Amino acid sequence: MSELHLELNKVSKRFGGLQAVDHVSFSVTKPELIGMIGPNGAGKTTLTNLMSGMLKPSSGTIYLNGRRIDGYPPYDVTRAGLGRTFQITRALGRMTVMENMMVPGLAHNPRASRAELEARAHEILTLLTIDHLTNELSRALSGGQRKLLELGRLLMLDPAVIILDEPFAGVHPRLQDTITNYINRVHENGKAIMFISHNMGAVFELSQRLIVLHHGAVIADGAPQTVRNDPAVIDAYLGHDEED
Amino acid sequence: MVIFRRFESAIDQGIGRRKLGYLVIALIIAFFLWFPNDTSQSNYAKTVFISGFFYAIMSSSWALLAGIAGQFSFGHMAFMGIGAYVAGLIARDGITFALLGVNISPESISAIGSIIIGTAAAGAVGLVIGWLLLRLRAAYLALFTIAFSELFRIMMLTEYDYTGGSNGLSLRPLLQIADVDAARQVEYYLMFALLIVCLLALYWVANSPIGLFLRAMREDEDAASALGVNVVRYKILVFVFTSMIVGFAGAIFYSDVGSERIIPEQLEILQMSLIIAYAVIGGMESLIGAAAGAFISRYLLEAVRQVVITLPFGLTTHDGSDAFVWDTGYWRYALFGVVMVFTLRYMRNGLLYPIITWFSGRDIAMKETVSRRESDDEHAARIEADDE
Repeated sequence: MSELHLELNKVSKRFGGLQAVDHVSFSVTKPELIGMIGPNGAGKTTLTNLMSGMLKPSSGTIYLNGRRIDGYPPYDVTRAGLGRTFQITRALGRMTVMENMMVPGLAHNPRASRAELEARAHEILTLLTIDHLTNELSRALSGGQRKLLELGRLLMLDPAVIILDEPFAGVHPRLQDTITNYINRVHENGKAIMFISHNMGAVFELSQRLIVLHHGAVIADGAPQTVRNDPAVIDAYLGHDEED
Repeated sequence: MVIFRRFESAIDQGIGRRKLGYLVIALIIAFFLWFPNDTSQSNYAKTVFISGFFYAIMSSSWALLAGIAGQFSFGHMAFMGIGAYVAGLIARDGITFALLGVNISPESISAIGSIIIGTAAAGAVGLVIGWLLLRLRAAYLALFTIAFSELFRIMMLTEYDYTGGSNGLSLRPLLQIADVDAARQVEYYLMFALLIVCLLALYWVANSPIGLFLRAMREDEDAASALGVNVVRYKILVFVFTSMIVGFAGAIFYSDVGSERIIPEQLEILQMSLIIAYAVIGGMESLIGAAAGAFISRYLLEAVRQVVITLPFGLTTHDGSDAFVWDTGYWRYALFGVVMVFTLRYMRNGLLYPIITWFSGRDIAMKETVSRRESDDEHAARIEADDE
């Protein structure tokens, strides 16, 4: 199993007058399934962008396996062992599904043979049930299939930490099962997975740990059942039962 | 259509499209090798071909930069100009590196040496421009390179004491052949060999992992970066590589091989627009398409310089002739513009794309996969059926 230690120390991001992320601190030290929830505008995607190198924090530090990664370009963060998907899928449209898989494959393993990487890619596409689309241009794929392709590309990178931004959004319920299977299987292989979702059913079913963001700050971090009953979370996000 | 389908089927069952494609390329190469030996051809025809080879290098390298890497640059002609001007200035004035205490006199530099230095200079400027362009995309990148290109052209025009201004700059002749016919023949083969070498180098890059990364950057730079592609390195690399190719081609072409002097007029936006137009018409995502588009367009633009028009219905001109010669002048560019408009509207991958796709067999793969494409619902139903 690869080394795993992600640590955020008082990470903040300010856009002009807006405090998008406010002194966020947490660490991931074991292969956990972490759900990240919060109302719209809570700062979930901004935090993902900060962790993956898409944005530079205004203050604070991020370490991955002992290496400081905040402010590093995304390709360096990826190589350090943190991979991500996007809320709106970003398939490389005029490239085939196999080419989409080969990009991270060759970027991560420049010395590996093409045949070896193609075999690995085919294996992953089969796991994700989209192996029949190998030679299809990815722009021709449906929304759900693109989500699956994004997940497949991550496996070619073999990162220690995976961040999935809204993996279930706009996906057919049956394909959601495929994604859930993927998450469980990847987790069993020793990866830490952090996923952002508004699908509460999936969040509570999958998560071993739940982080709740509100106005850019972490208001709860712990076991799902504990977080579910946290008054601050109920107040900010989950809402009160009608009879209360 | 039925005949074509039969032909297609016979090819698929026989030699195969790819092999037929290689055969066609071999025949085209054989034609170009034979052409200057055809005694009926004038030196002018060879000159048109030499110019066609040069523009094919320009357009195909631009296709790598813009069509494959997605860097829509207008600076290509400027990089070509840097190669040619630096080669010319070095050969004429020599160079002194004061800090290193090195002085290279013009007498100690050969034409080849000056071309190599010109190529290196184009690459060095490409490195700087590539670095400056790192944060710019799409229209901003295009505007930046237009500004850079114009800046360079105006510098060459204004500093006439050094560059010859609008009269241009003569480079040291690369070939010293007294006989005009023999010289033209050698110049023809030299430019043709240069085109083949450049195309092979461009193909090598396009089909290597670098080419895959460049295409990924074209599609989505952020996504490519998130997938581990060092976008900084490859963006700079593609600028340096294509700048060196066009710098090298420019330095050779203007070393009295295709033209006896480089003039600032060659660096105008119109000239750059023509390079882009050739690539678009041939297919800007295909190196061979862009090269063929440039060669064929250059040839046709020359062929229609003067058009003989025969009048119908017994009509005559004022001097009683039933035909007249139309000096097309700039009208030929208008015609060229119509072709470009048609291409952009109806065949965005270029006029040669269907032919290239057919030979590569990619259309078969596409048909197969398109027929297997399914919606999310169909996909889910299939998984369900597989589970059962």
